[in-house]
Amino acid sequence: MKNHTDIILKTEDLCKYYGTGDNQVKAVDHVNLEIRQGEFVSIVGKSGSGKSTLLHMLGGLDNPTSGKVFIDGENIASFKEEKLSKIRRRKIGFIFQAYNLIPSLNVWENIVLPLGLDGKPIDESFINDIVKTLGLSDRVKHLPNTLSGGQQQRCAIARAIASKPSIILADEPTGNLDTRTGDETMALLKASAQKYGQTLVVITHNEEVAQMAERTIILADGRILSSGESEVDSDEEN
Amino acid sequence: MKRTNTVRGLALSKLRYNKSRTMLTGIAIMLTTMLLMAIGTVGTAALDMNRQMYALADYHARFGGLTPEQVNVLSNHIQVEALSTTEVFADIENGKMNGVLSCQETLKNEQPADGGSSLSVELAFGHYPEAEDEICSSPAFFRRVGAEPVIGGKVTLSFRVDGKGEILTREFTISGLEPDVEISDQIDDSRLMWTGRISKALLDRYKADGLYEPEPVATLRVYGEEELTFDEMTDRINAVAADIGLDEGRVNINKEYLFTATNPGTETMAVMAVIGLIVIFFSSLVIYSIYYVGVITDVQEIGKLKALGASGRQIARLFYWQGAIVSAFAVPVGLLLGFLLPYLLFPLALWAYSSGSAISSYSRDATEAIIGQLHMFSLPVLLIATAASLITVAVSLQKPIRMAKKVSPVEAIRYQENTNDRKSRKGHTEVKVSTLTLANLTRNRKRTAVTILTMGLSCVLFICVSAVLCSVSAEDLARRNIPRGDFRIALDYALYNDKEYPENNLENLVQQEYFSEAFLSRLSSIEGVESVERAPGKIISSTDMESPMYEDYENHLPLSYFTRDDVAELNACLEQGSIDYDRMTANNEIVCTHVYSFNEYGLSIGDVLPITLHDGSREIPLTVTLGALTEPDANFTYLVMTEDTWNSLGLTCDPTTSIYLHVDNAHYDSVKEALTEIVAENEHFTLYAMDVELAIGHSSIDLMKNPLYLLLILIAVIGFINLINTMITSIVTRKKELGILQALGLSDKQLVRMLSGEGLVFTAGTLLISLTLGNAAGYLLFLWAKQEHIMSISRYHYPLWETIGLAVVLISGQLIITLFIRKKMERESLIDRIRNQE
Repeated sequence: MKNHTDIILKTEDLCKYYGTGDNQVKAVDHVNLEIRQGEFVSIVGKSGSGKSTLLHMLGGLDNPTSGKVFIDGENIASFKEEKLSKIRRRKIGFIFQAYNLIPSLNVWENIVLPLGLDGKPIDESFINDIVKTLGLSDRVKHLPNTLSGGQQQRCAIARAIASKPSIILADEPTGNLDTRTGDETMALLKASAQKYGQTLVVITHNEEVAQMAERTIILADGRILSSGESEVDSDEEN
Repeated sequence: MKRTNTVRGLALSKLRYNKSRTMLTGIAIMLTTMLLMAIGTVGTAALDMNRQMYALADYHARFGGLTPEQVNVLSNHIQVEALSTTEVFADIENGKMNGVLSCQETLKNEQPADGGSSLSVELAFGHYPEAEDEICSSPAFFRRVGAEPVIGGKVTLSFRVDGKGEILTREFTISGLEPDVEISDQIDDSRLMWTGRISKALLDRYKADGLYEPEPVATLRVYGEEELTFDEMTDRINAVAADIGLDEGRVNINKEYLFTATNPGTETMAVMAVIGLIVIFFSSLVIYSIYYVGVITDVQEIGKLKALGASGRQIARLFYWQGAIVSAFAVPVGLLLGFLLPYLLFPLALWAYSSGSAISSYSRDATEAIIGQLHMFSLPVLLIATAASLITVAVSLQKPIRMAKKVSPVEAIRYQENTNDRKSRKGHTEVKVSTLTLANLTRNRKRTAVTILTMGLSCVLFICVSAVLCSVSAEDLARRNIPRGDFRIALDYALYNDKEYPENNLENLVQQEYFSEAFLSRLSSIEGVESVERAPGKIISSTDMESPMYEDYENHLPLSYFTRDDVAELNACLEQGSIDYDRMTANNEIVCTHVYSFNEYGLSIGDVLPITLHDGSREIPLTVTLGALTEPDANFTYLVMTEDTWNSLGLTCDPTTSIYLHVDNAHYDSVKEALTEIVAENEHFTLYAMDVELAIGHSSIDLMKNPLYLLLILIAVIGFINLINTMITSIVTRKKELGILQALGLSDKQLVRMLSGEGLVFTAGTLLISLTLGNAAGYLLFLWAKQEHIMSISRYHYPLWETIGLAVVLISGQLIITLFIRKKMERESLIDRIRNQE
């Protein structure tokens, strides 16, 4: 086990229930997990197993019914919306299955948006580096709806890493992409996460994607079936 | 049949799914219906009120300056339904009392039994004067002349026949009493007009003695009120006048009454139709913009439906069903509210008038009676409002339907509301909140424009109506008597050449130096008087030449002057000739401000008149040329010359006939008291006080103004709700996008800043439209109202407070809505907002 201080994401008895009584659905049920700084973790599970709900709560997009989420040792459930938005733009990069680019902004503007919201100066050479790595150099002035799905997802990835967040949360980033583009996208994501020392948490249905991760958490009915902890040590040789 | 049900079912479920949009559309349709219905209802009520009010004076026209022969022809005229004559016999001489003795005679009355109220006044007690010494009037009249108002009581009156000749004194016996009138003590006695009715027998006596020459005024009704239009009635009245050889200038048609009693002419219908169309136009824009935004967010779903095989016609039917279902709820609610709101508020508006009315309790009773039996419901209004709302919905749906039909299933799947054909955007290296705001506004310029236009148009209507209402001003009416300051002390002088009592003539009065410097400093010394100023003086002119104009005033016309600064004001009512200050000075030209009698006097521009000016007892001969002719203006007397010509006369007497006093508000009442005492010392002085003039002004316009204010408030409320609706729509439909931005770290403060930035642009655009279009339309409406002599409008007033109010409401409205929506959004977790469309 690594040092306790290395843990960047942690949940304690995290629950998310919908409805009451007989109709109650336990989307996430008493989940306890720890993710270390720089780790690449995949979360797998059947449809409706609570993967997305868990990821959204990890990123402060959804409010838990009970339990705690710690980012860098701080319980974000106690944060006001104002502080939470700062955490989101500084520490977390989101990648959605549906890309969720802002249609009125061009590719470049979409990428630097989190930086702009934080009022930070833009390191143009760094952004250009990302744009080049992701193969978007000739598309920076384009509006999102003129891009292919793969290009849009790469733009979303660039946006997620542009502010050098410590955590990247990706919800089926390759779900809408064909196999080849999907593989390329994952490779880029993993490479950039390694390059900038970011923690990567990816939800996926895709076996291959799951296998790229250092650790795989398996969810079923909102509970963790396997946190993949035992394999971590043996995988460390990678 | 089955297919229809599928589409209808789909429409229903879509409405349920897009709850907030359904609500917004429903509210917009409801408001449109409400506005139409409310306008119609207020219109119906106002028309009915006018009909009842003017029924109290249901004559069609007055013919002035008739000869007894003409009266005789009139009473036998086939077109005349009812006829009565009034002869003003004498002016009552009783201190400062304004009073006349007149004789009224009903010569013909073939009106239906329920009509004819104004051509013969019912007496409360007694009978009309028959014998020479009999008199009747209201009890207040007799109290005013110091007699006890009882039948058979005696009253002694001094009077001058025709306002000329010797003062005669006579004892009368009270034969009848009219219903009593309660006189408000707010109105100064000098501003009231009293009438005592005397017998025909007395008139005949004086006529036989050669002391009185009758010039009766005929009040009449012609046949055809039920069948003819306003214009046809006017034509008929003028034809009757022509038949007896009467000049059109002496015909005074009772337009207010005829207007309400006859079918409205085509012009009125056109004005109503234009107002209706404007309302329909701007409300259809609201509904259209909601559907338009709706389709954009719906495109993916429409694409899926098409992929499943829905035809273009079915898509269209889907839209129509949605519109029909929402209308089925919204239209009846709108009709009900549109009727109830004026139904409850209209009497309140009238009530505010009657309780503030200064004139008398008589009008209050009349108002009460009218409120009690006001007809406000009109089936045509209901049907028109319903039809107009439904047509509006159908028309608004056309564009979205065309858009939806055009969507191909393939492009729909990846459709995002976008920038039409734009592929790229220059953009900025850095993204700030302001970048987001601008990107949003420019993303779909057309939608931004439609939103601004929608909001702008409801404000245009508001600004336009306020411009007219602001110009309906009691102060303007008051300023006709007190052009400057708070009080005016005026010198009463004989309007005609008073041969029997020449001391009443102006040229003799000025020799008394009533407005001496000593008198003015006495006024200045009253505590609270800030300044005393002289009004432009007047001097009496006469001529040796034959001039009908001078003859009409017994060769005794007042003349005054105008300054260079007055040229613009005179030009505003110029009718003939031209006003050039320097030319007029050089040529001794004068302006005649009495256009009404111009033709009658056979005057024409360029006429040369040798006149004599009477500077006290000194006579100044002068040859003047008629240079221009204007409509009457309260600030100028009958004839005016330039100030330079006036100064060159070298007057020795002070020609002041009026002085203005400016007083400190805090001392208004005490100054008024002091002035009343001073004025009482001199029988030639009359005091005009601002509070009295204002009260008189209010009493003559408030009855019309208050219902219009009600309409204005309705427009404002409905326009504001429309505005809120439009703004909510523009935010709600972007809920997902705002959610994404928040997920990326947009803080609450930044969100508020972004939305208020957008709101600010909308507000600025709205204000720009309402201030340009609204003010222009308002000014045109003002000109029209002025020309038609509606509500005594004379001067344009810029609706400053209304404009400021509008800006404040717009800006605060934007902020409140932004904060409200943000609060509402907080209740939903971010992820729900990102996942869902609505």
